[in-house]
Amino acid sequence: MFERKRKLDDFTSEIEAHIQLEIERLRDQGLSEEEARASARRSFGNVMQAEERFHESSHWLWWDHFCHDIRYTLRMLRKSPGFTVVAVLTLALGIGATTMIFSAVYAVLLKPLPFKNPDRLVFVRKKNPPRGWIRNPISPTEILAWRRESGVFEDLAAFTRSSCVLTGSGEAEEDPCEITSSNLFPLLGATPLRGRTFSADEDKPEGPPVAILSYGLWQRRFGAAENVIGRAIELNGTSYTVVGVMPANFSHLYASPYTTVPEIWVAGIALSQLHAWNDYFGVGRLKPAISLQQAESQMDTVSGRLEQENADLKGWRAELMTLRMAVSGDTRPALVVLMGAVVFVLLIACANIANLLLARGASRANEFAIRSALGARQERLVCQLLTEGLVISLAGGVFGVLLASWGGKGLVVLAPPFLLKSAPGLASGTQDLRVLAFALVTVLMTTFLFALAPALQSARPHLTETLKETGRSSAQSPRSRRFRSALVVSEIALAMVLLVGAGLMVRTLAQLGSVNLGLNPSNVLTLRVPLSGDRYKHPESQVEFWEHVLAAVKALPGVEAASVSRGLPVNDWSGQFFTTSDQPNPPPGQVPDANYVIAGPDYFRTLQIPLRTGRSFNERDTQGAKRVVIVNEALARLYWPGQDPLGKQLRVGSPGSTAPWLSVVGVAGNVLGQGPDAGFLPEIYIPYQQFPWLLGGPQHLLVRTSANVRPETLVRGVVQEVHRVDKDQPAADIATLEQVAQEPMTQQRMVMALLLSFAALALFLSALGIYSVLSYSIAQRTREIGVRVALGAEPGAVLRLVVGGGARLALLGIAVGMAAAFALTRLMTDLLFGVRPTDPVTFCVVAIVLAITSLLACYIPARRAVRVDPLVALRYE
Amino acid sequence: MSTQENAERLELLQGTLDLLILRTLIFGSQHGQGIARAIQDTSGKELLVEHGALYPALQRLEERGWISAKWGVSSNNRKARFYLLTAAGRKQLVKETDKWKRLTGAIARILGAEGAES
Repeated sequence: MFERKRKLDDFTSEIEAHIQLEIERLRDQGLSEEEARASARRSFGNVMQAEERFHESSHWLWWDHFCHDIRYTLRMLRKSPGFTVVAVLTLALGIGATTMIFSAVYAVLLKPLPFKNPDRLVFVRKKNPPRGWIRNPISPTEILAWRRESGVFEDLAAFTRSSCVLTGSGEAEEDPCEITSSNLFPLLGATPLRGRTFSADEDKPEGPPVAILSYGLWQRRFGAAENVIGRAIELNGTSYTVVGVMPANFSHLYASPYTTVPEIWVAGIALSQLHAWNDYFGVGRLKPAISLQQAESQMDTVSGRLEQENADLKGWRAELMTLRMAVSGDTRPALVVLMGAVVFVLLIACANIANLLLARGASRANEFAIRSALGARQERLVCQLLTEGLVISLAGGVFGVLLASWGGKGLVVLAPPFLLKSAPGLASGTQDLRVLAFALVTVLMTTFLFALAPALQSARPHLTETLKETGRSSAQSPRSRRFRSALVVSEIALAMVLLVGAGLMVRTLAQLGSVNLGLNPSNVLTLRVPLSGDRYKHPESQVEFWEHVLAAVKALPGVEAASVSRGLPVNDWSGQFFTTSDQPNPPPGQVPDANYVIAGPDYFRTLQIPLRTGRSFNERDTQGAKRVVIVNEALARLYWPGQDPLGKQLRVGSPGSTAPWLSVVGVAGNVLGQGPDAGFLPEIYIPYQQFPWLLGGPQHLLVRTSANVRPETLVRGVVQEVHRVDKDQPAADIATLEQVAQEPMTQQRMVMALLLSFAALALFLSALGIYSVLSYSIAQRTREIGVRVALGAEPGAVLRLVVGGGARLALLGIAVGMAAAFALTRLMTDLLFGVRPTDPVTFCVVAIVLAITSLLACYIPARRAVRVDPLVALRYE
Repeated sequence: MSTQENAERLELLQGTLDLLILRTLIFGSQHGQGIARAIQDTSGKELLVEHGALYPALQRLEERGWISAKWGVSSNNRKARFYLLTAAGRKQLVKETDKWKRLTGAIARILGAEGAES
């Protein structure tokens, strides 16, 4: 690996040459061969000493020592395979867990986003603090005004998510797509792989319809054809010209990870100052030296003017986030908690190995005493011991990284879909050089953590005593015993904190699982059919399509009920304004809003949402019939408190809309559609046959199966029926309602699974710690116990003596851990639901579990103590 | 060259060996034995240089980049390691010589003054 700067051979021959030259010179002066040789040697001095000095002056001396230490260490470790395996495995688990979580932390929170100067990019949304609305999309009015007047942006681009049905050349497919302003690509610093991006002309509504393809779509649908540029494709029934293809590595991380990754980008955003629809998201590049707060405050000045001119914008203010925050936002607390947890596991592992090393150090006291008596300096002994530690932790590190890359695959399975979207590098995280560098630093740090104290202790041997006693009963000094006890106490305390964290997550998931959503999500199949093409230009034809599909699906065996809707009952939200006939002109900024659900007949029966009063929709609620609406309890209570909501009137849209008045014919039970945290929000149900065009019409098919039929088994039959009605319509997002309802919990589920495994590991390691300390101290006290037994001590008394010692440590650890957990669990508040961070039940259960485990760990060595034969023990000395 | 002869010679002051080696090499490249010999000869055989002590010093100077070394053939056809003054070594020699002159000057002034008093 390293070449010595100059070989010793080279030096020796130089000296030989020197002496030879001197001999020749002296001989020339007339001395005899013998005399010349003697004199030359004399004037040179000590050859050996010169060589030694040369040796020491060569800088690689430490390297020689190091190599020697490594060889020695490997010999030592081979001789005690039990110790080696336990130490390496413990460290491998600790370092593996740490590396795995760090690779996720790096991928999600630290790795630079793949854009030009990503630090200056901000995600632009808006908030309305008086009404408690946050993270709202923004309107063209605001985008144009902020871009022009705030003076904080180098540029501000806008995009909106859409859905494109691609027809012609093969089967129709629905692809997520984005309508973007032309400046988005240059703003991100992205260049196309083929062709070009959009030009400013193409932003105009009358501009030519042009589109850009994703690399994946280009490969899959167009066979990577070079001539795709300039080709016409049909999107939602309109012809578009392909002008470019983005490279495979073009990232979607400029948008929220909750949105789907677009396959097509479409120009023609047509931002107009007159449009206050909140349909767009903004990505801005801040000018240098403008901070986020500065930008927000200058944008708010602009907003202040806008709300004077446009009542729809009243109360709205800019909400900026760095792109990194916007993309990783909700994952941050989970990752921070997990990172803390693995550091705890690693500390426990270190404490454990330090303990093992201390025990070994005591049994090797003799060896060190002899080396030290033979003149080994203390630094050399410390170096030797640190090298041993380094070899162990390097081995642990190698296995740990293997474990981490293996565990990383498990992490990908556990991780919520949005996490994978926000960190595409998650799956291959451990292959990143920076992650490996982190693992190496961890290895070095752990080496110092676990090896330094034992090394310092062992390298300071009490020469005379140790050698006199031939090392046999070199009883540990009180200081060393105290240190080892402190290690065990801290291990148990750390395990306590981890167990409490895991326990809180278990309670959280139990609480989440037992939440009554207000509907029955089991046995419901959902899929989405976005109707497109000329055939469905008229809303009546959409109604016709759904009527046919519903009739066919209901006839399938195993189907109990089926309906259709715009929007799913969970994790879907389409907030819109409405007004009631009681107050047709609310002041601006106080217009009521609700989630709009466009629902078919049997909607409530299919989802098993109870009707509190009135009736459900039926087949007679058609175009010609009286216009009806159903509201939920929350809305009725909010706008008609203490009154009978039946027969009340409301109207779709902002005040002054010309939409017809709708009569409330029923009140449905509340549904926790936006997750348990959001509570019950007002909702309006509108019969799709009367308003098939509203919000783009219904898209979701909901099918309830009989109790004994699993909904997954019906997928093929249902899709077949859809295609029998129209083979050109894609069936997308096929899932059970249970899966949809569970999705928001995947993060908590992941945190729980990981915390549980870390806590189990911590529990095991700390039990091992207490076990090894007791075993060691019993081995040391064999004689004492023998004397006690010889003097008539009952086995019970011996057991109590030993177990009592361990139990004291365990109790102290539990007490310290409780205090630490009490202080630390509040960092988890964001992850918890229905349980306080200081939940007494969790704390008590965890303390009991830990106490029982510790007692078990004490009991095994204690049994050995009881079996001590006094005769053997006494003869031993 | 008996031991008695050696005892009458002056021991080298700490750090002066480096200076003497650099100075010796100013006339061209030289091997270790030649350097030792030159120091002894030019000092009028006043200085005691243990030849073995020369090598750690050469090693040190080489590491600092003041001299460089390569194997060559001596005037009497022997293989020897030849040392050569580098540009940095030349600069160092000037610096050290100046320092040495100031030091000896100062010491001479003090000793001279003392001598005048007594």
